[in-house]
Amino acid sequence: VSVRLTPGRLSIARAYAALADPTSGGVVLFVGRVRPDRRRGGEVSSLFYEAHTTVALSAMAAMETAARGRPGVRQVLLWHRTGDVPVGEPSVIVGVGAAHRAEAFEACRSLIDELKSTVPIWKTDRARPARRRPRSPRPRARGSAD
Amino acid sequence: MVRTVTIRLFAQAREAAGASEIHRPIPEGGIAVPTLLRELERDFPRLRRVLTISRFVRNGEYLPGPVGHLSRGDELAIHPPYSGG
Repeated sequence: VSVRLTPGRLSIARAYAALADPTSGGVVLFVGRVRPDRRRGGEVSSLFYEAHTTVALSAMAAMETAARGRPGVRQVLLWHRTGDVPVGEPSVIVGVGAAHRAEAFEACRSLIDELKSTVPIWKTDRARPARRRPRSPRPRARGSAD
Repeated sequence: MVRTVTIRLFAQAREAAGASEIHRPIPEGGIAVPTLLRELERDFPRLRRVLTISRFVRNGEYLPGPVGHLSRGDELAIHPPYSGG
């Protein structure tokens, strides 16, 4: 399936396999992953993604059709995860198979930019509380005898 | 028969209203989108700021802004700025 919104884990291997057309001389996969950014409440442990599913899928399908109309582009894949996505796991995969690398890179870049700004998907941080640092031993007064 | 419209709220809009879906009675002739939004702002003051930066989708189609008319059974979705990826 070239366009997908799913609560299931996204597989990079499956995404690559879905673009397995030998006429594509270049395949570009962009994988967006959840970063463990620091927030006021602690460190991000996961991101929660929600979507207006029908509108999002229709926007993604339109993007896929438009991208396949670009010169040289043979296959396009847009997968986005929904629900809770832990740090380190992919939240989005955009893939393009094209005759040549320049077309694949260009299409992939514009697809991820367009997806982020035009598809109704939202993320919310979920932070794990900051760990309290163990107290370091109080430095001894200078000149004290040991 | 009760005439209602459904308002779907996402992300910051949902947090501001404390609900992801609101079913609201409307007059017999329907309701203008700006009127409905004013009523929502009155009921959920925290929505005011979110509405100024949101897009609006009526029955799956984007509106050009906070404009248009809703009839019985219509759905209006409130989309704050997107943050997918």
